[in-house]
Amino acid sequence: MVTTTEALSLKSEMPRRKRRDLIPWMFVAPCMVVILLVTVFPTVYSLGLSLTKWEIGLQERPFIGLGNYIELFSTARFWHSLLITLLVVVVGVSIELLLGFGLAQTLSGQMKGKRIIVAALLLPVMVMPVVVGYTWRLLWDAQYGPINQIIGWIIGQPFTYTWLAKTETALLAILVTEIWQWTPFMFLVFLSGMAVLDPEIFEAADIDGASGWAKLWYMTLPLMRPIIVVALLIRGLDALKFFDIIFTLTGGGPGNSTETLSFYIYQMGYQFFRLGYGAAASFVLLVFLAVFLTYLLKAFKSAVGS
Amino acid sequence: MSTRMFRIFSALLAVAMLLGLVVPVAYAQGPCQGSSSQCAVEAAKQFAGTTINYVREAGLQAQDPLTMAPIWEKLTGIKVNVIELAYLDMYTKPLQDHLTGGGAYDAIDLSPMWMQDYVNAGALEPLDPYIQKYMNPADMEDFLPVYRSEGVMKINGVTYGLFDDGDVFILYYRKDLFEDETNKAEFKAKYGYELVPPETEQQMYDAAEFFTNKYAPELYGLAMQRIEGQAYSWFVGPFSGRGGQFFDENMKATINSEIGVQLLTDMVKQNKVMPPGVEKWGFMEVLSAWMDGKVAMIVTWPPIGRWSAGYGDTAKQLDWVPASKVVGKVGYMPQPGGRPTLAGGFNMCVSASSNNKEAAYLFIQWMTSPDISLQRVMLPFALRDPYRLSHFNSPLYRSAWPEAGEYLDTLKKAAMAGQYELGIPGAREYMEAIDNALTAAYAGKDPKEALDEAAAKWDAITERLGVENQKKAYEQWLKNPWNRLGPKVEVPTE
Repeated sequence: MVTTTEALSLKSEMPRRKRRDLIPWMFVAPCMVVILLVTVFPTVYSLGLSLTKWEIGLQERPFIGLGNYIELFSTARFWHSLLITLLVVVVGVSIELLLGFGLAQTLSGQMKGKRIIVAALLLPVMVMPVVVGYTWRLLWDAQYGPINQIIGWIIGQPFTYTWLAKTETALLAILVTEIWQWTPFMFLVFLSGMAVLDPEIFEAADIDGASGWAKLWYMTLPLMRPIIVVALLIRGLDALKFFDIIFTLTGGGPGNSTETLSFYIYQMGYQFFRLGYGAAASFVLLVFLAVFLTYLLKAFKSAVGS
Repeated sequence: MSTRMFRIFSALLAVAMLLGLVVPVAYAQGPCQGSSSQCAVEAAKQFAGTTINYVREAGLQAQDPLTMAPIWEKLTGIKVNVIELAYLDMYTKPLQDHLTGGGAYDAIDLSPMWMQDYVNAGALEPLDPYIQKYMNPADMEDFLPVYRSEGVMKINGVTYGLFDDGDVFILYYRKDLFEDETNKAEFKAKYGYELVPPETEQQMYDAAEFFTNKYAPELYGLAMQRIEGQAYSWFVGPFSGRGGQFFDENMKATINSEIGVQLLTDMVKQNKVMPPGVEKWGFMEVLSAWMDGKVAMIVTWPPIGRWSAGYGDTAKQLDWVPASKVVGKVGYMPQPGGRPTLAGGFNMCVSASSNNKEAAYLFIQWMTSPDISLQRVMLPFALRDPYRLSHFNSPLYRSAWPEAGEYLDTLKKAAMAGQYELGIPGAREYMEAIDNALTAAYAGKDPKEALDEAAAKWDAITERLGVENQKKAYEQWLKNPWNRLGPKVEVPTE
């Protein structure tokens, strides 16, 4: 049985405890409100938008259920943009990974002038993608571009191929530009990773007479797996949203041949004001990102575990 | 034009501007009886201390309002904040602002092609009440008929904009090359007719082929803007001139008709007599090649006429423009094919979500008034081009350089025969489909296949926006004689 004194002390303690419980919530509340306002609300709102026929040319915005999604999946241009996006992710990021790893492996030991070489290699990643796009547009120029100039010197006659205006080479030019800019990022991540690998393991391997190839295959690569997965995760997510270089280099052309999913969403949502359709396309991109992220995070866990 | 001559003209312009400040006003209550610019100034004084945000295309286009805004502020006390946007952002950003209830913009520049979308979105303020209240009715009649028509300044009979930029394509050609006796003889021997400034597309192609074969790589016969984004502008006029139609009576797209396919085939062929890499050439590339004397003909917008003549080339705003090597060598013709494209152009409009609508209106009335606008279309560094009858007839402008009269007459003739780009809801999307077809064909795709794809896109857009709605809008749009496609425009009496 609770005495009166005990009851009184409990009464006065309860609000104090409640207050104490509330204090952490009060601290995080502003943050939560901001998150709700800038992420959750727009996401829910755009989900609603994706279920309506919101067109600038129409006076009404009727609810059409999955109409936008059905139209999206039956549009060849959407599938083409998805294919281009996947090409950039698979081909572009893979080449960046190989080149970045190769460069890091080459420069991971002690060598003269390493600091200068590393600094020079990192320059492209520090330039804004829009600037990279415009710069490479000049480099690819048919008449005055250095690339054609050099090819002209090699073949001994003027070379005026329009790289960016031909379907078969526009994507190649984009990939080269993209790889040029982002390989240094991979290189930097791998170089940092290699710097913290325990040298004693490699010394032991040397004593055992392991070849360079064996050390790379059986030691460096397994040890670097978590770092490779993280690098792939960051670059892959970024490449899935690939936009700036396309915008500046080809504008999605010729025709729609170099349009990525992000560029397609931009065209639909912000150029033609098909907000419902654009929102639906954004959600599809979000799903792709989520699947990609889940897969890579699983890979990361298994890499760390092993 | 020599530096000395330019200084004299600058002085004359300055005097004209000062006169604008001191001309007495016959403004009282009711419609303006005197100068519309003065009526605007007097009425605007009640809004002194206000700031209006005015959207203008970034770069050289913005130099004009940046020059004029301080004068307006001095006269009225209203500050004008010039917001510079890239051309295509001028369509999207003010619309986004309106749709999100922002009210960030008061006065906006809009291409006639975009007006329908803006009106549909309720983003524009109807101007008729303000015009009745503040503008001298005679000044409305001073707009060239082609620029004050339905679908341009007006949508469904309601005025939503004051026209402010006479953008029409004309052909600039090198007189010295066309008048060269050797060239004339060689051309006649090869093509069987006289080398004359081209009136038809065939003449233009033959001349281009002739000059390219003779002079390349030092000089090419022809250059036109081919880069994605606005490539369609070079399709619309010739398509109309050849008798092409955008839609049939059921609103099915007919851009992939035989006429369209033949035109696109010819456009691909034209690229072969243009400089290498022309498929990625934009305005600047064409301008540079022309000013450098590297091409015999170009088809483009009007300001190049002023710059080619070296008019005002000492202005610091024109530092970026290559010095003209073709001064005194330039002739002008309307874009060959019969229907020069009325490409772009701008209306000055008032945003429906503006908090300073009346002040914004008075500013655009002042800017577009006959006296002030003449000064503006004569600014050497401005991209605004003549659009009022008083501009074309101005003795001051006609004597600005030796061939200025010929230039102005050509602009007027081209505009009066011109063809507007499609201006119904979804216009940007329709035009983008043509743009994609053109660039795909330049990249090697079969022209028919490219246009079939574009036509399918057109049908999908029409279907989506409602066939009946689009048909109604198109019929309304066709009420303007300069919107109707066909070899000749039936010009109403001026």
